[in-house]
Amino acid sequence: MTNMTSPSGPIRPPRPGRFIQALAGLMVLFLPVLATQPPPGPAHGAYGRVRAERNRDVTADHTRFKVLQGPFKDGDGSAVTRACLTCHVKAADQVMATRHWNWRPAATDRKGYGKSTHLVNNFCISTLGGNQEACSRCHAGYGMTDRTFDFTKAENVDCLVCHDTTGDYEKVKGGYPNPAVPLAEIAQKVGRTSNQTCGVCHFFGGGADATKHGDLDDTLLKAPRSLDVHLSRDGAAMSCTDCHGARSHEVAGPDYGAPADRREQPRFAGEAVSRMACTACHTATPHASFVLNRHYRKVACQTCHIPAYARGGLASNLSWTWSTAGRLKGGRPYEDKDANGLVTYNTIHGDMVWAKNVKPEYVFYDGSMDFTLLTDPLPATRPVVLNPLHGSYADPDARIWPFKRHDGDQPFDPVQNRLVAPWTAGPKGSGAYWGDYDWDTAIRLGMEKAGLPYSGKFGFVKTSMWWPITHMVAPKEQALACGECHSRQGRLARVKGFYLPGRDRAPGLDFLGWGLVLLTFCATLVHGASRVLASRSRRNP
Amino acid sequence: MSRIILYTRFNRFWHWTQALLILLLAVTGFEVRGTFRIFGYLRAVNLHHGLSLALMTLVLFAAFWHLTTGEWRQYLPTRVFLKEMAAFYLTGIFRGAPHPVRKERTAKLNPLQRLAYLGFKVLIIPVQFTTGALYFFYPNLNAHAWPAGFLWGVSTLHVLGAFGLLAFLVGHVYLTTTGHTPLANLKAMLVGYEEDA
Repeated sequence: MTNMTSPSGPIRPPRPGRFIQALAGLMVLFLPVLATQPPPGPAHGAYGRVRAERNRDVTADHTRFKVLQGPFKDGDGSAVTRACLTCHVKAADQVMATRHWNWRPAATDRKGYGKSTHLVNNFCISTLGGNQEACSRCHAGYGMTDRTFDFTKAENVDCLVCHDTTGDYEKVKGGYPNPAVPLAEIAQKVGRTSNQTCGVCHFFGGGADATKHGDLDDTLLKAPRSLDVHLSRDGAAMSCTDCHGARSHEVAGPDYGAPADRREQPRFAGEAVSRMACTACHTATPHASFVLNRHYRKVACQTCHIPAYARGGLASNLSWTWSTAGRLKGGRPYEDKDANGLVTYNTIHGDMVWAKNVKPEYVFYDGSMDFTLLTDPLPATRPVVLNPLHGSYADPDARIWPFKRHDGDQPFDPVQNRLVAPWTAGPKGSGAYWGDYDWDTAIRLGMEKAGLPYSGKFGFVKTSMWWPITHMVAPKEQALACGECHSRQGRLARVKGFYLPGRDRAPGLDFLGWGLVLLTFCATLVHGASRVLASRSRRNP
Repeated sequence: MSRIILYTRFNRFWHWTQALLILLLAVTGFEVRGTFRIFGYLRAVNLHHGLSLALMTLVLFAAFWHLTTGEWRQYLPTRVFLKEMAAFYLTGIFRGAPHPVRKERTAKLNPLQRLAYLGFKVLIIPVQFTTGALYFFYPNLNAHAWPAGFLWGVSTLHVLGAFGLLAFLVGHVYLTTTGHTPLANLKAMLVGYEEDA
C-alpha cells in the first residue's frame, strides 16, 4: 500500500481541502439563484395620500351655492342638472359625447357596439326589446324609457349618479332619482367620482351585485389587500379612475374589447391618460427574474396575478338558462336555492349556476372580440359564442388571458336564424315575459319595440360569452406558482397549439428514455452478477 | 510498487465538478419536466439555468486544458486492442483474465473508453448545449412564426440527450468497478494515480 501521508514521494497526494474549496467556488457562481425572494414590502398607500391632498386643493364649497339650496321637487333630477349647468356650462355637452350617455362607443372605435345598439349579451339579452325603462336605472341620464329617448337634451344628463359623495343617491326605472332621495342635500355635497359611484352601476351588471363580470362587485369597496391590491385601503388605496383615466367626462374603458397590450404612458408631465394596461405603471419588465419577465410575451399579467375571480365572498353568475324560465308553483313564480344559499332556479331567469372564488378559463386573446347583433345570422356552431375572441399562439399581440365563461341559452328565431330581443321587464298583463311568462308574446312585442322583424316562431339556442378578468388583482405573494400551469393537468391544460414545458411531452419519450436507462442498469446487473459468480467458482472450483 | 499519475489535479477537478453539475442538471431538468418535485418549479428552472452556465464555464476551461496540454489526443479513436477490450468485457473478465490494455500517462483510456467519451464530448454535450440554448432563448427569437412543433422538437431532443446522459452515467459508474479491484478506478479518479495490481 502506498503511504498516503508521504510528502516526499514522487506523486503528491490529493488535497481534498483544495478540491472542495474549488467546488465551493464553482457553486458560488449559481448560489444567487438559491436565494429567496425578499418578503413583500408594506402597503405603500401613496395614492391614498395623493387623494387626500387633492381634496385639500378643492376651492369650491357647493353647500354655499345659492342655486343648489333647492328645494328640488322629489325625483326631479333635471332640475338639479339645470342648476349644475349654470356654472358648469359645458359639462352636459361633454357628457353627451360619452359612452356613459350614448351607450355606444365613439363611432370610430368599434362597429357600432353598445347597449343602445342591436348588441346582445348573455344575461338580460338586449335593452331594445322594450327594456330601456328597467335597464336605464344605470343610464347616466333621466327619462330613457323607450327607444325615443332624446340623446341631445342637456337637462336629461344625470350629474349626481357619478358625482354623489354621500352614497344616498339612487336611481329607479327610467333612470330617474328615487323620489325619496334628498336632492338638494346630495347636490350640495357633490365631488369627485369614487369607487362607490362607479360601482353603483358597474358592480351590478346583469341585474345584481357580482352577477355579470365576476371581477367587479360591491366587496371591492371594503376590499382587504388580498382581494384587490390596488383598490384596497390596505393596499395602494387607488380609485377606479386612477387607471380608467377621464378626459372631458369620457372615462377610459375597454370599448368592447381592451387591447391586451395597450401600453398607455403619459408622454409629458400632467398628461391625463388612461392606464388600463398594467404595463402603464408597472412597465413590461416588473419582475426581478428575467424568466418571469419574458412570460409577458405570451402571458397577460392578469393570468398569474388574478388566481381566481369572485373572491370577495359574493357569487357570480356562471350560467343562465332562459329556456327553463317560467315554471310556476301554485300559479306563482318561485326560487330554489342550494345548500350554500345560491339560487339554482328562478321563475324569471330559469336554471342558474352561481359560484364564488372561481378559477378563470384561459384563452389566447389579442384584445379584440366580435359581438353578435340581433341582425346577425347565427353561426352553425353550438353553443353560439356571442363574443368570439381574436388571438392565437402565433399572433404576436395575443396573450393568454383569464376569462369568465358564461353559459346559457337564449330564445332565437329559427326561421330568420337570428337572436331575438324579448320584452322581459314589465307588469302582469302587459305581455312582458316577467309579467305573463309567455315567450311568444314577449318576443313579438319586444321585436316590435326594437323595430325588427320576427317570423312568429321561436326556439332556444345554447350560447356562451367571454368576460375578460382584469380586476381583483391579488398581492404578489398570491400570484400563481409556476406549477399551476407548468404541470400535466394545470390551468392551461386546455390551451392548445404550443409547447408548454412541464405540461407537454412527446408521446413514448419517457418509455424510450427510462427504458434505455433501465436496460443499461439491467445489463450492468447481469454483467456484475456474472462476474461475482464467475470469481466465486474460480476460487471454489 | 510503482505509481503513475493518470489524472492530474485539474483533470480530477474537472471530472468531479462536471459529474456533480450534470447530476444536478438532471435532477432540476427532470423536475422541470414534471417527473418529481424537489426544489419547486421556479427554483428548479433558475437552478437549471445557473448550473448550465456553470457547466459551460467549466467546459470552456476543460477545452482549453485539453487543447493546451495535448490531452485531447487521449480521445482519438483507435482500433488497436478494440476487439480485445470487447472480448475482455464479454468473456475475459469472467475468467479473471488480465486487463488487455495497460494504462499509461499518455494513453489512460482504453479503446472503448475513447469511443464512449468522444461520443459524450462531441455528441451529447454539444446537443444538450445547443438544444438547451434554443430552449432558453426561444422566447427571444421571435420564434412564434416558426413551425408550431419547433419547441416541442427542441425539448424532445434535449430530453433524449438527458436520458442518454443518465444511461451513460449508469454504465460509467458500473464500469468503474472493472478495475483490478472494484474500487481501484474510483480511487484513481479521486487521488490521481493507480497502484499496480
